[in-house]
Amino acid sequence: MKNYKTLRVTQEGNVVTVRLHRPEKENAINMQMVYDLKDVVDVLTDANDVSVMVLRGSEGIFSRGIDLCDFSLDKPPDIYGLQHWEKMCRQIERLNKYTIAVVEGECIGGGLQLVLLCDARIAERKAVFQLPEVKLGFLPGMATFRLAKYVGLGRAKNIVLTGKRFKAEEALSWGILDQVYDPVELEEMLQQKINKLLPLHQEVLELARRLLLESYASEYEDFIGGFLAAQHRAIHSDAFRELILKAPSGTKAKEIFTAKDASKHSRKK
Amino acid sequence: MTPTCPSLKSIPVEAPRILSVGTANPPDKYTQEELLEYYKETDWKIRSIFLGGHISTRHLYLPEPVNGMMPEETNEELIQKHLRGSLEIGSQAISECLEPLGLAPYDIDFICCLSSTGFLCPGITAHIIKHMGFRENVRRADILGMGCNAGINGLQAVTDFANANPGKYALLVCIEICSAAYVYNKNINTAVVNSLFGDGAAAIVVCRDSRLTWQDGPRVLDFEPHIIPDAIDAMRFGLEDNKLSFYLDRDIPYVIGMNVLKPISRLLGRHQIKKRHIQHWLVHSGGKKVIDAIAYNLGLTRHDLRHTIHVLKNFGNLSSASFLFSYKELLEETSFQEADQAVMITMGPGTSIETALLQW
Repeated sequence: MKNYKTLRVTQEGNVVTVRLHRPEKENAINMQMVYDLKDVVDVLTDANDVSVMVLRGSEGIFSRGIDLCDFSLDKPPDIYGLQHWEKMCRQIERLNKYTIAVVEGECIGGGLQLVLLCDARIAERKAVFQLPEVKLGFLPGMATFRLAKYVGLGRAKNIVLTGKRFKAEEALSWGILDQVYDPVELEEMLQQKINKLLPLHQEVLELARRLLLESYASEYEDFIGGFLAAQHRAIHSDAFRELILKAPSGTKAKEIFTAKDASKHSRKK
Repeated sequence: MTPTCPSLKSIPVEAPRILSVGTANPPDKYTQEELLEYYKETDWKIRSIFLGGHISTRHLYLPEPVNGMMPEETNEELIQKHLRGSLEIGSQAISECLEPLGLAPYDIDFICCLSSTGFLCPGITAHIIKHMGFRENVRRADILGMGCNAGINGLQAVTDFANANPGKYALLVCIEICSAAYVYNKNINTAVVNSLFGDGAAAIVVCRDSRLTWQDGPRVLDFEPHIIPDAIDAMRFGLEDNKLSFYLDRDIPYVIGMNVLKPISRLLGRHQIKKRHIQHWLVHSGGKKVIDAIAYNLGLTRHDLRHTIHVLKNFGNLSSASFLFSYKELLEETSFQEADQAVMITMGPGTSIETALLQW
């Protein structure tokens, strides 16, 4: 794996771990990190020897959030950097790998935005979350779009509008996290989670995730067309063919039906 | 900013460019509800096909109702309508395409006309040449009966001409008078066709010239076809009441969906580019199901397909002209950057999937 200025990327088998790594800045997200993450995601998209991406922090902290040092007072701030960030986020959200966010320590602002992009989200018990942006005077990115889908509108308002800090247990009960572990068992549980997951059907996973993401914004009539197209693709996969081959022989069922038919006919007579 | 795409080393910098596009439709526009009313259609199955919601309006050449009823058109009337309509909207599309370039029909060196909705001899090019005043030594070709995919087959012809004849202008005209291939016989199959297709024409000019830049239009870089011979009968003309009537197999969207990745992988793979490097997708507005099938098999979003969906909604399926309507919408909406890339996809009888790669 390549070297990045703001990330530590390692690969073990078909699992790639991406660690946010700016120890001097508590992993604050600057433009360089956005570009680095985009590059990793591009590489992973094309890598056919990777099934899982684990996204996590380093040195006991996930991320302190966006690095305001990247904004300069010399010129009016423009929206394009933030647009790059959102584009990269969307790429993570739609990556053709299973994505797992692992949170240790603080997970603030942009850090939590990253967590919301992942297929699975786990944390150690003492992890702390916060979207402080509104309280500070700006917006928590497209978490404004994603958060309510996890937690419902009421809780999303509470989290976004007050900028309150909340603990892993709360995040778990609201549906932001899937599981919370004691720090000592975190690595083992992560490994177990991955082991259970593999092998996975990447194409089908991608289709299912896309449909789930679209489910909030579609009419039934629009959605079912997409579903049928996706399902058609799924049932033509090698994986589905294997399933049919492994299924118990159809003769039995056929016998039952013909027997039933026969009895029907005999009753008619 | 990082460059959006690796450079296409295999392609010479100078390639034919699409310089302009023009489109036209018949003056009369109908909603699906109006059409059901004209034809006094009461069958709920047919009504629900028309009112599926993916098409709201279509432009059509339809006869004047007599006593509130649509009169039946004879075969001869349908053929007449095809020629009359072709001359009207064909020449409008050509004029709209040539005017911004300061060109007149007289300046065109090669004219290629496409149609799958009527058969003429002499071909449409001869009629258009007479009607609009092209040069007597203009090269010409008529492509007939290839169906919805034919626009890219025609684009291949004009691109090849332009490539071989630098500085000369090649004109592609897609003219589809689908209302000249309508049969109303209360049959579900013909109802599907009658609910879907609309009338329209589109024209583009292609030229290769070293003085042209990306601001003049995209270069047509490469093509990749894909034909599925096993599905040759899936889309075809048949005869209903001695009239040509188009037949669409219900599995078509899925057959296209299953195969569409093949030509796209070859086309992009050849140039070492990925789907994510393509900024613009121009897909034939075949119908809701086939658009869904392409979306989920290529991983394209509704945003990627917005022009395709919009053209279907406002015009119906314009057969070979559809994708150029999408292209025109894209031009009107987008501010392009140098090296932006587009992929065109059309699909039709054969069963055939045609693709093209463009770069600004």
